[in-house]
Amino acid sequence: MVVISCALLIWKIVYKPMNKLPYFVRRLLFGTALVLGVTFISFLLMVHFGPDKTYELIGKNPTEQQIAEVRHALGYDRSFLLRYGSYLRELVTLDFGLSDSSGEKVSSMLARSLPISLLLVVPGFVLGNGLGLILGMLAVWYRGRWLDRLVTGASVAGMSVSFLIIIIGLQVLLCTPHGLNLFPVRGWQVDGLASYLFYVTVPTLALVLVTLGYNTRYYRAIIADESEREHIHALKAYGATPYELMLKHVLKNSLVPILTRLMFSVPLVLISGSLLLESYFGIPGIGQVTFDAITSGDQPVLKAVIGLTGVLFALALTVNDFLYKVVDPRVARS
Amino acid sequence: MPKTTQCVILLTLLLSVACSPGDPDEVTTSKVYRHAMDGAPASLDPAQAASLYSKFLVVNLYDTLYRYKYLARPYQLQPNLATAMPEISDDGLRLTIEIKKGVHFIDDPVFAGGLGRELKAMDFIYSIKRHFHPSSRAQGAWLWQDRILGLDLWKAEGSDYDQEVSGLRALDNYTIEITLTRPFPQLIHTLTQGFAAVVPREAVEKYGQQLSSHPVGSGPFRLISRNSTRAVLARNTNFRQEPFDLKDEGYDQKTQGEVGLEDLQNKVPPFVDRLEIEFVTEDAARWNAFSAGEIDFIKVPVSQFDNVLSQRNPPILSSQHEDIYQFEAASEAGFIYTNFNMADQRIGYHPDPERNRRNHALRCAMIKAFDWKKRNEIFFYDIGHVFPGVLPPSVPEFDPEADAGYIQRDLESARQLLRVNDWQADNLPVLEYGFPNSVTERQIFEQFRNFMMDMGYPADKIRPLVFATYGDYQRAYSQGKVALINSSWTMDYPDAENNMQLYYGPNAAPGSNSANYNNSEYNRLYEASTALNESTERTQIYRQMNQLLMNDCVSITGIARTLLFLWDKKVIMKPDRSFLGGYFLRFVDLEDSLQTHE
Repeated sequence: MVVISCALLIWKIVYKPMNKLPYFVRRLLFGTALVLGVTFISFLLMVHFGPDKTYELIGKNPTEQQIAEVRHALGYDRSFLLRYGSYLRELVTLDFGLSDSSGEKVSSMLARSLPISLLLVVPGFVLGNGLGLILGMLAVWYRGRWLDRLVTGASVAGMSVSFLIIIIGLQVLLCTPHGLNLFPVRGWQVDGLASYLFYVTVPTLALVLVTLGYNTRYYRAIIADESEREHIHALKAYGATPYELMLKHVLKNSLVPILTRLMFSVPLVLISGSLLLESYFGIPGIGQVTFDAITSGDQPVLKAVIGLTGVLFALALTVNDFLYKVVDPRVARS
Repeated sequence: MPKTTQCVILLTLLLSVACSPGDPDEVTTSKVYRHAMDGAPASLDPAQAASLYSKFLVVNLYDTLYRYKYLARPYQLQPNLATAMPEISDDGLRLTIEIKKGVHFIDDPVFAGGLGRELKAMDFIYSIKRHFHPSSRAQGAWLWQDRILGLDLWKAEGSDYDQEVSGLRALDNYTIEITLTRPFPQLIHTLTQGFAAVVPREAVEKYGQQLSSHPVGSGPFRLISRNSTRAVLARNTNFRQEPFDLKDEGYDQKTQGEVGLEDLQNKVPPFVDRLEIEFVTEDAARWNAFSAGEIDFIKVPVSQFDNVLSQRNPPILSSQHEDIYQFEAASEAGFIYTNFNMADQRIGYHPDPERNRRNHALRCAMIKAFDWKKRNEIFFYDIGHVFPGVLPPSVPEFDPEADAGYIQRDLESARQLLRVNDWQADNLPVLEYGFPNSVTERQIFEQFRNFMMDMGYPADKIRPLVFATYGDYQRAYSQGKVALINSSWTMDYPDAENNMQLYYGPNAAPGSNSANYNNSEYNRLYEASTALNESTERTQIYRQMNQLLMNDCVSITGIARTLLFLWDKKVIMKPDRSFLGGYFLRFVDLEDSLQTHE
């Protein structure tokens, strides 16, 4: 009863007046609340359940005093609220201090590794989604026929193969003397377009292969759903060409779920990179940096990655809402 | 603006940010040696050079007073920055060390005019003091605490760098005097460590914690770039000119004659212009990169042993590989063990003498139930060295006559020990077996539990206690929360004292005595041995201590892994991974045909 009363009170105090605020102010408030929630919960988990770096940083045969000194240097002896307050200040100023492991500036680590991850993942992301969409449309157009069955079967098969197997298989096939030996097994010595293509081709192929199945299945389901609508049948009856039907009507009307999928992938692509790709291909991107930070308990790096991911999600949500209005006039009117 | 143009501009911008900047001092023709490591260093600050990977790089970027001879085995000390071995007073308490003149740090903006200044005795003293300063996050204090006169007091009084330490003095710019609180024969070994590498004070003051990614040393190489996957080092062109002498480095024609080391005589190290050190944790990726010729050296992953070897004991390289690669099988300086937590009354010491006796019997039964043969076969490809106790074959004190029964499975005796001491399935204690999370660690645990089940220990009474990281695991066993501690020990220096201190009572948790073993006789022998240099007398004491550990059934131990190294035949070197393995990099050379033109 008390909970319901509180909820109603909050509804009256916060939500109803908020509805009267301009749209962008509402989005800003919502985004801020989201970031605060994400950072608070993740920080709470990090502090209470995350790895403790103390014992990795003390020498052998430590005294109690030395253990206390390390804990103090790491800030573990400060109260939770003080530490969380510092975290929010760091997030606002984008100054996350120094890595507990390497002593490097966290902002420098991110500035160095983020563009690399972006260049690594974007071609695979674009190709994976683009091809998935095309194959999904083809499967729907030839629904129930051999092409549909082939695409659906191949998608399921693609989803069943582990990313690791794909990576190692492609490495052996394309990068070693046991195969074609055309590309490097690992590295990122990129100094122009040619070297970029040299290093990015195999990771991109791996990424496309691992995501294509999931993307195709998703897009096929959306497009199949849309193409069953009455106005599409009517258009078919009036003799609309496949090109017109698919691109002008089905695809356009499916843009809301497609945009949602794409927009929500962006923060992960931007911040998380791809650990497996970076790790197996020796690419110094953000995925590797994040993984190292998780396994070693490097809190300054983790805080930066989690905080920035939260901010990007909030931004993605806002942009997503804006795009809904653009692609669907009904949303704008409401 | 058309969308295509926008895309091209965006791509160009991204490429310009993500492209590796060209090395400022890159030479047009250079010898490049590409080395693979199975882990990455966290820090390049000597004060934090605790891991194998950090040490590997630090000893190449900085200078230490002493090092080990490149080729001599067993290991022998050799002056490095010092002009000679130290002069030691008759009571063994005062050491005087002279350092070389004219050694300069690398050029760095931290120095006046950007030119590296000369390294002086005070720099060494400052570098050791850093380990006792709370702000440096140093990890090497354990090497010298309670051993160098006045150092602990200096810390207690506030660690003021301008205040002198009575036992650590610069007599002049090139002479260091170290005064000890008690004889410490291993001191010179500690001065080979990355921890003892010499840093300039002005660099520490300017870069602070960032010194760990901005090294300013006087070693044979300097850092060009480093990220999470690789480090690139270039030859320090101002490194002191000391021609290579095969004899001085302990060359043995019989065992080392096949790798082409004779050609190095009288050349001045470092021999390569550039080191590219790749950090590759994934075995498959490391092997693929090596097979494709992208790296010159690899520690062979266990998954490839079958592919690489034609015979296990002794390991012999298969014919398909012997034409292209050099090969070496090396016994690791260290061992793997499972300690019983003696502070845990369920399995260790107990105030009730009767229960204490039964706990001892239980530990001994578990040791007898453990199957080292299977452990070696399944996890170490049957090429590890199983030995009783804590003196592995890599130390001179290793006792080939030691009680081999300690490492032989004897299930019948184990069961009888349980029966005689009134241990049955229902009254056996529940024990936690700790390990950091990984598939291999889980498999090792399951194998251990199976061994114990064979003896009659109920499966549900040996429980896994899994931790996210090794640091968390270490914290748990240091706080006495783990009954069975599975771990490994990598020796810091080639002196068995480094192993014996693992069971010295005062080193109990959170110290390195994770077993919390405390036997007054063992402690007395350890204290007596610390004043002794390597000698027959000391060997006898160590063997006696080893026997005490076995009698008390403190640990299920041990096995020393055999590591397999492969390297391209065109690379002239004798690689090493033990202790301060990285010292060998200055002596690596490439045949002329391997020179890389960039």
